[in-house]
Amino acid sequence: MTSLSDTSCLTGHSVLVTGASGAIGQAIVKRLLADGAVVFAAGRNETTLQKLSETDPARIVPLVYDIADEQAVKAAFRTIQSKQSDPAVGSLIGLVNNAGVMDEASLMLSSLDAVKHQLNVNFLAAYQHMQLAARLMARLKQGAIVNVVSQVGEQGSAGMSAYAASKAALTGATKALAKELASTGIRVNAVAPGFIDTSLTEHYDDKAKEAVLSRTAFNRAGTPEQVADAVGFLMSSASSYTSGHVFPVDGIFHP
Amino acid sequence: MTNQEKLTQAFCDALGIGPDQVKDDLQYNTIKEWDSTAHMVLISELENTFDVMLDTDDIIDMSSVAKAKEILAKYDVSF
Ligand SMILES: NC(=O)c1ccc[n+]([C@@H]2O[C@H](COP(=O)([O-])OP(=O)(O)OC[C@H]3O[C@@H](n4cnc5c(N)ncnc54)[C@H](OP(=O)(O)O)[C@@H]3O)[C@@H](O)[C@H]2O)c1
Repeated sequence: MTSLSDTSCLTGHSVLVTGASGAIGQAIVKRLLADGAVVFAAGRNETTLQKLSETDPARIVPLVYDIADEQAVKAAFRTIQSKQSDPAVGSLIGLVNNAGVMDEASLMLSSLDAVKHQLNVNFLAAYQHMQLAARLMARLKQGAIVNVVSQVGEQGSAGMSAYAASKAALTGATKALAKELASTGIRVNAVAPGFIDTSLTEHYDDKAKEAVLSRTAFNRAGTPEQVADAVGFLMSSASSYTSGHVFPVDGIFHP
Repeated sequence: MTNQEKLTQAFCDALGIGPDQVKDDLQYNTIKEWDSTAHMVLISELENTFDVMLDTDDIIDMSSVAKAKEILAKYDVSF
């Protein structure tokens, strides 16, 4: 996919990306930088974020916090708020809720703590980020939110009910908030990856991977860059008439 | 600008109303300009004007101009 920078309108503005230390997150950061944005790169792994920011120190602002910690999220947004008038950063016009955890377990073997943890990280934290980001964007009457959900949440997958529920909750919020925030000029979309080769899926052995890929029409795993391209499109003005949409990046996957 | 003037300006910018309408007893949802969308823009405007970040409970409580002043006072903004 060619860069959409000519139509992206991200130059002079900033975007917050959670899970920026992960594989898909890093690809999203690179994509948004190419489209002209300054990126607040959030995660817990300080070393990885520091390394990432060294690739473009003027345009990558690392933010180290646990997204499941409500107070820490507020503090991070306070930092973002304090930089809104800095011309080197620019106003926040984008949020990518990309951080996520996946704990595969059957119904009988799912501890409620593990279920709550996935709901906290994959849904509640993303929700709090949307609340706070929308407030910053409302003044400008423009913004785009992209939530990274999953085909597992869209279609269901045996042995992944808690993860599926947490992602489906985020899809529901995406569709509802797209309608609610339309009048404030904020678009809300989601990207639903299928099987992408990252640390989230590295525990799959060859046999398990083959089984997943056999249910993928393209018969191959996707790349973080392909997910990032979809995020870049939904973040850009090339998708300015699109909101409440769940964009699949899955090679036609049937989990 | 005094804090009262800044507050009035924030209400005018967010709701698209005149300064004469910004009275202490003006309440949320009693004029068409102050609906839920405008409320969000108002919160955004107040946070930017007074450099604060409001708690969700305070946003829910902010049902009038008088209440806005009372809540902002908790964030060391005096009127
Ligand atoms: N890989 C796939 O096949 C696939 C498929 C569908 C959807 N997805 C979704 O894509 C997104 C990115 O996943 P990925 O494959 O890139 O996985 P990954 O490499 O494991 O990255 C996960 C990211 O989430 C962050 N994170 C997790 N818990 C956090 C917390 N409590 N606080 C702050 N950050 C936290 C991690 O940050 P730290 O390491 O710094 O803590 C990391 O940056 C996730 O939402 C995932 O559900 C992935």
